[in-house]
Amino acid sequence: MATVNGYTGNTPAATTPAATGSKQSAPPTKTVDSHSVLKRLQSELMGLMMGADPGISAFPEEDNIFCWKGTITGSKDTVFEGTEYRLSLTFSNDYPFKSPKVKFETCCFHPNVDLYGNICLDILQDKWSSAYDVRTILLSIQSLLGEPNISSPLNNQAAQLWSNQEEYRKMVEKLYKPLNA
Amino acid sequence: MKVKILQWHAVASWTWDAQDETCGICRMAFDGCCPDCKLPGDDCPLIWGACNHAFHLHCILKWVNSQTSQAHCPMCRREWQFKE
Repeated sequence: MATVNGYTGNTPAATTPAATGSKQSAPPTKTVDSHSVLKRLQSELMGLMMGADPGISAFPEEDNIFCWKGTITGSKDTVFEGTEYRLSLTFSNDYPFKSPKVKFETCCFHPNVDLYGNICLDILQDKWSSAYDVRTILLSIQSLLGEPNISSPLNNQAAQLWSNQEEYRKMVEKLYKPLNA
Repeated sequence: MKVKILQWHAVASWTWDAQDETCGICRMAFDGCCPDCKLPGDDCPLIWGACNHAFHLHCILKWVNSQTSQAHCPMCRREWQFKE
């Protein structure tokens, strides 16, 4: 099956340069690059749709498979239980050799998330591996919610409040804006 | 009864002897090829690391070359070394 995909998938890339004629030298490499990213993202999408991971989901934006929207729900028995967060994932032509840019789009009161939704998570920076994918990224962020790294906070207020889980939960509820409201 | 074979037609199949079915980097089947190649086989071989993790040669080379310092195995983070 995958072999067959390999053939059919590669055919357009091989024929395009011939069809465009004069522009042969520059585009092919780029075509091949984004083409392999495309294939990998397609197989990830397939995997995500086939396997049901509770609490995470992701789907490309309508017109651009390089931009995905993901959602994660707060795990049970954490202060984030019952809340749902939307994230954006942006992939470059170097994916999976470079990590995607991942940001919270829903406000998230968390020690390792700043006010703009930027996330401080090692696997999105220096600990990135080409074996990670959308699924493992979202699962990692989901577990980061319940297990923050207090020693290097982006949100100091959240880091200080973390020790008081009861108050923290109140804060989460106060700042939480449901997705479909 | 005597049977006389007039013609025969041999068919062989091959497969890479890896533990996984797909390459952890490109997610394509090992028995297929990496996304940059068109035909599986010797032109798009698998390669093993000292840690015994296998990848398409082209995929792991891209990963190793994209790292600024010593590259690590994408699967287990051990320092990447090609298996002798």
